[in-house]
Amino acid sequence: MMRYIKLVNFEINRFSKIYLSLLLITLVSQFAGVFIVTKSLLNDARDIMKEERLSEAAYITNYGGIDFNHIANSLLFVGPIALSAVALIFYIFLIWYRDWFGKNTFIYRLLMLPTSRLSIYLSKATSIFLMVLGLIAFQIIILPMENALFNSNVPEVLLSEMSISTITIANPILSLIIPSTFTQFLISYGIGLMIMSILFTAIMFERSFRIKGIIMGLLYCGIAAVLFLAPVLMEIGNFYFYPNELFGLMLAIGIILTGLSVWLGAWLLKNRVTV
Amino acid sequence: MNVNPREPVYLQVVRHFKEQIAIGNFVAGQEIPSRRELAASLNINPNTAQKAYKEMEEQGLIHTERNFPSQITTNETILQAVRQELILAAVDTFVDAIRPINVPVDELLRVVKEKYSEEIREEEEK
Amino acid sequence: MIEVKKISKNYGRKKILDDVSFTANKGEVTCLIGINGVGKTTTLKAIMGLTPYKGEILIDDQKMTKDSYEKITFIPDAPTMLPQMTIKQAMVFMSDFYTSWNPERANQLMGFFKLKEENRISELSKGNTAKLNLMLGLSLDVDYVLMDEPFSGIDMFSREQIADVFASHLIEDRGVIITTHEIGDIEHLIDKVILLDNGSVLKEFNTEEMREEEGKSVVDVMREVYQS
Repeated sequence: MMRYIKLVNFEINRFSKIYLSLLLITLVSQFAGVFIVTKSLLNDARDIMKEERLSEAAYITNYGGIDFNHIANSLLFVGPIALSAVALIFYIFLIWYRDWFGKNTFIYRLLMLPTSRLSIYLSKATSIFLMVLGLIAFQIIILPMENALFNSNVPEVLLSEMSISTITIANPILSLIIPSTFTQFLISYGIGLMIMSILFTAIMFERSFRIKGIIMGLLYCGIAAVLFLAPVLMEIGNFYFYPNELFGLMLAIGIILTGLSVWLGAWLLKNRVTV
Repeated sequence: MNVNPREPVYLQVVRHFKEQIAIGNFVAGQEIPSRRELAASLNINPNTAQKAYKEMEEQGLIHTERNFPSQITTNETILQAVRQELILAAVDTFVDAIRPINVPVDELLRVVKEKYSEEIREEEEK
Repeated sequence: MIEVKKISKNYGRKKILDDVSFTANKGEVTCLIGINGVGKTTTLKAIMGLTPYKGEILIDDQKMTKDSYEKITFIPDAPTMLPQMTIKQAMVFMSDFYTSWNPERANQLMGFFKLKEENRISELSKGNTAKLNLMLGLSLDVDYVLMDEPFSGIDMFSREQIADVFASHLIEDRGVIITTHEIGDIEHLIDKVILLDNGSVLKEFNTEEMREEEGKSVVDVMREVYQS
């Protein structure tokens, strides 16, 4: 158990430079976004008011108030989120492959540690999961600050203030990553964990059987996808479920797939993987 | 000590010790290095050092009291026997080498005496 | 005692290991000899659980478990730590994860090999990397040490230093298995030789017995066996 924790700590430390860069980029880009987009919006508004000779009240009636949605939809805001997502998806693969290739043959040491291969597998999974949570938490923390900054930069008459929850729900990306209910959280992150464990296992197939393994890995991903989506696919074939049933079925399949993937991945790591 | 790869190393170590005794570098009752120290200094496998010590113990060249470092024997008979053994071995080798050349014994002894005395003189000059 | 019992391994259609069997005893140096690609490294990896194989390998009469890694260590022909780590960080890592880590011996070997804590692993020369690997492996209080080509591609001075460690610290009561393709000047350090060719064992013998009974050096036997 202790070694598992030490491994998680180790893995997170290894990625810390990039991770902190991602946080920094998010911070700088999003705050810059608040400033830049706000300024641009205000300029646009003033231009329109001048051209159409509208008073501020009239402007609001015709065009609506200036709200945070504009910020939340801007590239400077969404960009770093996308960047972080891509980086972490990459890292799902890199967290394994970096130990095998180039000057790095750390995999020798990793597999010779007096700890179960399952712990090694789980430590990498946990690290990525924690880092994702960290990014989300960071976003949740700075969002209100950004909102406050925005609110203070827009003249009250033109401002259409939004609450954090409204901002979150209104934005497709934010609503995806910041769940509004606990159930939503379990579902989103549960699916995320399932996908990660399936990908990990596919990687284990490749590391065990090389080229044949890539095919096996892809096959495994395909079969998992079909199994998970089976209830939905059956609905297309006119076999309908109650929403509760659908949810329950997919939940069960999801849990089984995740468990199976973890077991299979750890088994491959113990018995078939070659250095 | 130069190790000959065709001869058991432990026997070479034993012979090395006998040579040191015959030369006088190791004297009666002198403490000798431990197996580990010997292995390190001669750059050999400690197992070999172990085997050599065992052989020397059996031949009576050294004796080891429990928990004390090993010592060269104080038995004069054995020490003399070692000297004899080395002399005979060297003579054996010499005779085997020179026999095919068929030298008359007197001439042979004369040459040997000359050469030997010359060597002693050169050493004393150093 | 490490018992390797009839292990085989295929890579596609090629037989990398074909029914390889031998034992390596504690307190002895066993040497696997053969040209490159003959299966020596694979054998060591199999013993260490780093590659799958058919057959059985027992360490002190037991199959390999995760705790075995406190009893047996492998020093491969490649660094086992992250390239950006300093030597100090590598040592901290080892002491963090292994209860068998011996810090006094580590410092001793650091001094002997003249390695500095601040050096980064990626900056080390080949010779120093080999010495670092050796230091990390030998600083564990293990019963068995496996070394893959400990002397290859290393400058002569480093070779001597490593051979020195062999004669002094290393063997003590441990079982050592090394692989090499040239026996060279370390013949007298080896207790048992296992000659491999094309993945199978051609001959297994004890060096001192071979010298005593047949007056042959290891190189003599190699010449005989490989030329027939």
